[in-house]
Amino acid sequence: MLRPATRPALAATRQVRQCAARFLSSPAAPDTSSSNINDPSTTPKTNPPPPPPNSKSSNTASKGKKPLTAEQRAFLSSALRVNQAGELAATLIYTGQTPPLVNRDPSLRPLMKHMYDQEAAHLRTFNDLIYRHRVRPTAMYPIWSVMASGLGWGTAMLGKEAAMACTEAVETEIGGHYNAQIRKLLEMVSEWEAEGYEVGAEFRDLINTLRRIRDEELEHLDHAVEHDAQKAEPHWLLTGVIRAGCRGAIWVSERV
Amino acid sequence: MRPSPLPLRRAARQILSSSSPSAIRATAPAVPTARRSLNTSSTQTGSDCTCGNCIRRPQIQKLSKQQQQQRQQQQQVQKQQRSSYHSYDHPSSPASFTPVEESILSAAYQHVPSHGFTSSALAAGARDAGYLDISPTILPEGAFTLIRYHMVKQREGLAARARELFGGEGHVGARPGFSEREIMGRVEALMWERLLGNKEVIGRWQEALAIMAQPSYVPPSLKELAMLSDEILFLAGDSSVDPSWYTKRASLSTIYAAAELFMTNDHSPEFMDTRAFLNRRLREVNEVGGVFRNLREWVGFTATAGVNVLRSKGVRI
Repeated sequence: MLRPATRPALAATRQVRQCAARFLSSPAAPDTSSSNINDPSTTPKTNPPPPPPNSKSSNTASKGKKPLTAEQRAFLSSALRVNQAGELAATLIYTGQTPPLVNRDPSLRPLMKHMYDQEAAHLRTFNDLIYRHRVRPTAMYPIWSVMASGLGWGTAMLGKEAAMACTEAVETEIGGHYNAQIRKLLEMVSEWEAEGYEVGAEFRDLINTLRRIRDEELEHLDHAVEHDAQKAEPHWLLTGVIRAGCRGAIWVSERV
Repeated sequence: MRPSPLPLRRAARQILSSSSPSAIRATAPAVPTARRSLNTSSTQTGSDCTCGNCIRRPQIQKLSKQQQQQRQQQQQVQKQQRSSYHSYDHPSSPASFTPVEESILSAAYQHVPSHGFTSSALAAGARDAGYLDISPTILPEGAFTLIRYHMVKQREGLAARARELFGGEGHVGARPGFSEREIMGRVEALMWERLLGNKEVIGRWQEALAIMAQPSYVPPSLKELAMLSDEILFLAGDSSVDPSWYTKRASLSTIYAAAELFMTNDHSPEFMDTRAFLNRRLREVNEVGGVFRNLREWVGFTATAGVNVLRSKGVRI
C-alpha cells in the first residue's frame, strides 16, 4: 500500500513514536503499555489494563493519597486547558478540510470521517474533564476557533497534499505534546509510589486516556503520510509554519 | 473597644513570628505596661505555670513556630485556589485559615452583629477563644480578615445547601445535561441562599462593603466574588466549557454584587424586594444572552446559505 518513495519519509515521522517508546520504557517511569507503541499489530484500543492500584504500595505501609501541590495543580489545569483547546482546533481543522477535499476526491470521505469522529470524541473527553475538575477553559477559544477553521479550509483549498501536510505537522506536534504530559504524570505517580502513597484511579484513568488519545493522534499522522503529505510543495515551509504555529498556540493556551 | 495601636501590633507580630524565647524577652520592653501579661511569664517555662496572667503563654510560644509554617501553607492554599484543578482522589486540604486564626475568627464572628467587622470584634473574639486581646494582630489584614472569613465560610457552606436544595447528587462523572431553564432556576436558588447568608450581618454589611472597596482589599474581594460565582455555577450544574464560561461568571458576579448592595437597604419582610430585584436582573441577562444567541445563529445560517449559493453557481469551495 505504501509506495517506496514515501517509505523513508514515513520512517522519519515515526521519530516521535520511537522517542515516546524510549522514555516510556526507562526504569524511572514504569509503563505497561509502552510495548504497543513499537508494535503496529496491536491497535490502540487494546491497551493492557492499568496496573492494579496497590501493586507497588501493598508491601510498604500505605499512607493514603497525597494531596496535590500547587505546582501539580497548576500543571494539571494548564494541561487540560491546552488539550481541550487542541482538540477543539483539531475538530475544526477537519471540519474545514472535509468539504473541499471530499469534493475533489470522494474516496477520502471515510478517512476524513474516521479522523473527525475520533477528534470529536477526544474533544468530548476533555470537555468532560474540564468541567469535572473545574478548570478554566482557554480565553483564546474564539480566536483558536477562527484560526483552526481557516487553517483547515485554507490547506484543503491548496490541495490534498497540503491538507495532509497540515495534518502531519499538527499531529506531530500534538503527539510530542501528549508525550511530554504523560511523562510528567508518570513522574508524579512514580514519585508517590516511591514515597509509599496510594495513587487514585483518577490519575490512572487520566494517564490511560492520554495514552489512548496520543496513539490515535499518531495514527492520524500515519494516515496523513500514507496519503502523500510529503509530496506537498513546499513541504518544509508548510509543515514548518504550521508546527511553529502549533507550538505558539500551545504556549499561549497553557497560560491564558 | 481598644483598637491596638501600631507599635503594639508590630511588637506582637515580632513576638509571634520569632521562634526562640530569648527573642520574646528581647522585644518585651517594647510592649506597653498594659500588656504586661506577655513578659511577666517570659521567665517561666510556661507549661506548668498556674498564675492567671500567663495561662495562654505556652500556646503563644508554640504558635510562633507553627505560625510561619501555617502561614506558608495558607498562602499555598490561596495560590492553589487560583489555579483550580479540583482533584477528587487527591484533594488538597480545604482549610483557608490556620487553626488559630479559625478559632479567633469564629469567636469574633459572633460579635459582628454588635461590634461590626472591626478590630474590637476581633479583640472580643480573641478573648472568647482564650487568647490575649492582642492576638488578632497575627491577622495581617485586620478587620478585612473577618470579612473574608464570612465570605469564605458562606461560600464553602453552599455545597451543603445545594445538596439540601437539589437532592444528594454528586458532581462526579460526566457533565449533567440540564437545560438552560433548569440551570437558571438552580442559579437563582443558590444565589438567594448565598444572599440569605448575609442576613445575620446585614446591618453591618455596608461597613464591610466599604472596607472591601479600599484599594488594597479590592483584588482579594474580587477574587472571592469570582470564586463565589464559579461555585454557584458549578453547583447549579452549568457545564459550559466555551467562552460562555467567562460571560456567565462575569454576569453572575455583577448581579450578585448589585443584589448584595440592594439588600443592605432592603427593609421589606423576608427581603422580598431583594428577591424580586435578583429575579429581574437574572431575567435581563437571559434576554440579552438570547439576543446574542439569535444573532450568532442568524450569522451562521446566512454564512452557510451564502456558501451553498456559491457552490450552486459552480464555485469550488
